[in-house]
Amino acid sequence: MPATGSNSAAAVWTILRKECRSEWRTRYGLNAALLFAVASLTAVSFAAGRLSDRTDLLAALFWIVLLFATLASMSHAFVREVEGRTMLLMRLVASPTEIATGKLCFNLLFLLVVEAVTVPLFLVLTGAPPVRWGTFLAVLGLGTISLAASSTLVGAVIAQTRGRGALFAGVSLPLLLPVLAAAVAGTRDMWASNPVASSVRLLAAYAVALLSASLLLYDHLWED
Amino acid sequence: MVLRVLLFLWIAVTMVIALLRAPLVPVLEETTRVLYFHIPAAWLTVVALGWSMINSVIYLVRRDLRADDHAAAAAELGLLFCIGATVSGALWAKAMWGAYWNWDPRETSIFFVLLIYTAYLALRGSIEGEEKRARLSAIYSVAAFVAVPFLIFVVPRMYATLHPDPIINDRGKVDMDPMIRWCFLSMLVGFTGLYVWLQSLRVRVSRLERAAHAA
Repeated sequence: MPATGSNSAAAVWTILRKECRSEWRTRYGLNAALLFAVASLTAVSFAAGRLSDRTDLLAALFWIVLLFATLASMSHAFVREVEGRTMLLMRLVASPTEIATGKLCFNLLFLLVVEAVTVPLFLVLTGAPPVRWGTFLAVLGLGTISLAASSTLVGAVIAQTRGRGALFAGVSLPLLLPVLAAAVAGTRDMWASNPVASSVRLLAAYAVALLSASLLLYDHLWED
Repeated sequence: MVLRVLLFLWIAVTMVIALLRAPLVPVLEETTRVLYFHIPAAWLTVVALGWSMINSVIYLVRRDLRADDHAAAAAELGLLFCIGATVSGALWAKAMWGAYWNWDPRETSIFFVLLIYTAYLALRGSIEGEEKRARLSAIYSVAAFVAVPFLIFVVPRMYATLHPDPIINDRGKVDMDPMIRWCFLSMLVGFTGLYVWLQSLRVRVSRLERAAHAA
């Protein structure tokens, strides 16, 4: 059924609200992701000690912690529907694009919550030097959009395969490597007070390309 | 049959001329000769992966399994040529830079391409049912190809790399000795012919497999 613009937006909003509500009821995904992020953060800062003078290492570790937290939790949004056998019901009330866009918004929100806890903790525990907030948030925000876009698309694909959980990290990670490389370079240059414009541009271009490809592909995620 | 023999002769003759007769570029010296193999392989990586993406889109639009055969075959061959480009590049790096691998931006990005398309093949292997496999792999293939232009064309130009000028340099001109250029172009044509032939073979094998499966 062709939906008009406002209808689609309403459907996306409904999906997002439904996702938030079902997440809030169990908090299983969020707890797992936060626990994972904090545990890997502890492992990193315990193993490496205070790294305040090695900002190149800090930038790499920062993004690896975020990437791991993403990979550990992001397939959850679709796998939950498949395992709870609610996917069919969902597809009755909304188009694939609406469902996937709703899930994308949820994943974005989810990542922001994880980052709201992980980022300050990381900066404190590793004794990182002060950040330039504008630049830092630009790199973080663009990196987050790419992380969410890629893991939503791959998550939806993976939920329909045999391997599910096991395969998700292996299949998502290669797509995220360009993001990781540019985000690490941007964060490192931010700390070293070098210009970061090229990394930010690369991140922005990749995020836009990934989002547009996702929006075109969502329609084919499920067979009619 | 005639075409195959011609292709073989074409590549063989070009290779002999390129290795024995073509002049060397200063600084690169003897390692110049890797370009007759390395650049066509890199070029066919992009062509094959692009062909895989185009066929994935065609599959999503038309739902024709023949397009999926092409997409899968092209991804496999693209990966093969990518390995060829990576290995020949690493050998060249050993001669010129003193190490097979040192995470130069070029090396990093080609390695990412290798990983992405290995993941594509891993994904294909884990999906049951032809139609579903074709559809989901096509989605992944299109998303994966988003990364390819960034990795092959953008990243190496943004970060400092020791890799020699790409063939089309900043001034948009091909700076090559005429003899080197002819050998190189001839090799490019030969490699492209080789790719087209391998692609048609791989697609035919997939079709035969499907027919045997259905029978």
